[in-house]
Amino acid sequence: MRLFAVKVFFLSFFLAIIARLFYWQVINAPFLQSQAEKQYFTDTRLGAVRGNILFSDGSILASSNPSFSLYGLPKTVSKEEKTILAYILAKVLQEDDVDNVAKEILDKLSQDLYWVLLKKTVTVEQKKKIEQLNLIGIGFNAESSRFYPEGSSSAHLLGFVGSDAKGENTGYFGLEGYYDGELKGISGLLRHERDASGLPILIGNFLTNQANNGKDLILNIDSSVQFIAEKTLKEGILRYGAKSGLVVIMDPKTGGILAQASFPNYDPQNFPNFPKELYKNPVVADQYEPGSTFKVLVMSGALNEGLIKPDTQCDICSGPIQLGGFSIRTWNNKYFPQTSMKDVIIHSDNIGMVFIGQKLGLDKFYSYLENFGFGKPTEVDLQGESAPEVRPKKEWREIDLATTSFGQGIAVTPIQMVRAVSSIANGGNLMEPHVVKKIKDGSRVFEVKPKIVRQVIKDSTAKVITEMMVKAVEEGEANWARPKGFKIAGKTGTAQIPVAGHYDPNKTIASFVGFAPADNPKFVMLVKYDQPSTSIYGSETAAPTFFEIAKQLFTYYKIAPSE
Amino acid sequence: MTIIKKFDPEEPKKGFSKKYISLLSSFLFALILVEIWTNNNVVVYGEKFEKLSQLAKQLNLENQILENQIAKYTSLGSIASKSAQLGFSTPESIQYIR
Repeated sequence: MRLFAVKVFFLSFFLAIIARLFYWQVINAPFLQSQAEKQYFTDTRLGAVRGNILFSDGSILASSNPSFSLYGLPKTVSKEEKTILAYILAKVLQEDDVDNVAKEILDKLSQDLYWVLLKKTVTVEQKKKIEQLNLIGIGFNAESSRFYPEGSSSAHLLGFVGSDAKGENTGYFGLEGYYDGELKGISGLLRHERDASGLPILIGNFLTNQANNGKDLILNIDSSVQFIAEKTLKEGILRYGAKSGLVVIMDPKTGGILAQASFPNYDPQNFPNFPKELYKNPVVADQYEPGSTFKVLVMSGALNEGLIKPDTQCDICSGPIQLGGFSIRTWNNKYFPQTSMKDVIIHSDNIGMVFIGQKLGLDKFYSYLENFGFGKPTEVDLQGESAPEVRPKKEWREIDLATTSFGQGIAVTPIQMVRAVSSIANGGNLMEPHVVKKIKDGSRVFEVKPKIVRQVIKDSTAKVITEMMVKAVEEGEANWARPKGFKIAGKTGTAQIPVAGHYDPNKTIASFVGFAPADNPKFVMLVKYDQPSTSIYGSETAAPTFFEIAKQLFTYYKIAPSE
Repeated sequence: MTIIKKFDPEEPKKGFSKKYISLLSSFLFALILVEIWTNNNVVVYGEKFEKLSQLAKQLNLENQILENQIAKYTSLGSIASKSAQLGFSTPESIQYIR
């Protein structure tokens, strides 16, 4: 009996061992295997480098700069050492305000944590200095920050790179936002076996999932044109005391954006130090009433329909007109009875435009608005584009048709306006605007081809309206500023700003839109000032800036005067 | 009396000859030496590999810094301010020759 009990005891004992072994080796095997792998495998994240943004000539507009994040290991340092460590680090990291920075670092090191981030962007020089000090309780992680060699140039165009909710680098606004997926790339993973001292074992298991670096963007933006536009606009804003200003320059044949400048702007490298209102790109996000610059589009619609000719006479232009309880006047209260359509553009005659609007009628007028691309986004490759709505056709009254004919009571974006005028410059084709010309992924290059959205007006109409715009420059209010000998087509615009239900006569948006050389346009340009204080008129503010930029572009493009 | 011996052909020797055994032993010995040498070197190469990998990283990093410095110094803004300091200015008037 005793022998039986001993046998049962041993049998139970072995069964228990077998059960336990079964648990460890079969049921819990995956967990244990992963635990073991953690001990002898090292995982290294292979960060993808964000793609570069390059001007059309290949020079760098945005690239990645190596940087490091500095972390602390509070549990490995004594209280006294933490104070000394904080002051030494503050001295290296910040030349001014050392006390405050040291206090911040000390506060972080005093937390009851094993690991704490002390500073996110540490430069290579700062890292070298810190490493030479042989400090304990700190370490570095490799990071990458954005670098903009042109400083705040093209800030609105570029956007910036910030952190998302997970702390990952993400592009916001402009190109950084629109092309974030292409620019950021895909991180990889390197897994290798290590020996007792942590060094890799060459014949051990090795697994690599290579990082795919971000793609490079090659822009249509020409660095010289961009520089000219920015410099001249900055000077213009100061000279005319404007609240803000912008310039867009586009190639009418391809829809490629050659330059875009806007002020006030921000430094994309230090974007958190600037008000958030400055982040959005006014070229694609701001809405404004185009004023008289809109007249060329309405005129081209009426010419295209054959409803008027350049010498058609206006029979309502002898004085102010009354419509729907409103009195409509010309901008300078001067009237030209039986004026021709050509002179309507030269004198920027509001009554003449009402005449044209009435000739067109609401249905055709509305269809031209849609065909010129108003009311819809232009699909430009920049994040944050807005598209002001055009009032539904059934809500239009007679007065709305009349005021919209001379560019008031309708909101557009600068990019919509420059694209619409581009269609006059290129013979009637509405183009899709593009900032990016090519996307480069290693050796593969994807080209963004010019895209014609639709033909809005006939080539013959485009030629007629171009001649009228040339006359407007040569004989209009802004002719004093134009460069002599060059054939430039253009139109000034002065739109009062609607404030609390009425137009403020002293606050205007002054603009000038045009293209040159008129016979074979190399560029279309819009210059717009918000609330210029030296003069409220586009002919005295935006037009001289337009001509100043055009003059420099003629030299740059080696275009000689035609006369 | 003539003693006639029965002719028995010589039986081939079973197993390897001494020659083959010594060759095999030498080969195995060489293999052992190679294994010892490899094992020793693997440890050293691991360290060398790590050093080379660090060096490659460092060189890539320095390359990137240099590229960025070149971009900074050749930016139009930088060139414009330096040229202004040197006394260059934009042309006042341009003569066109036909």
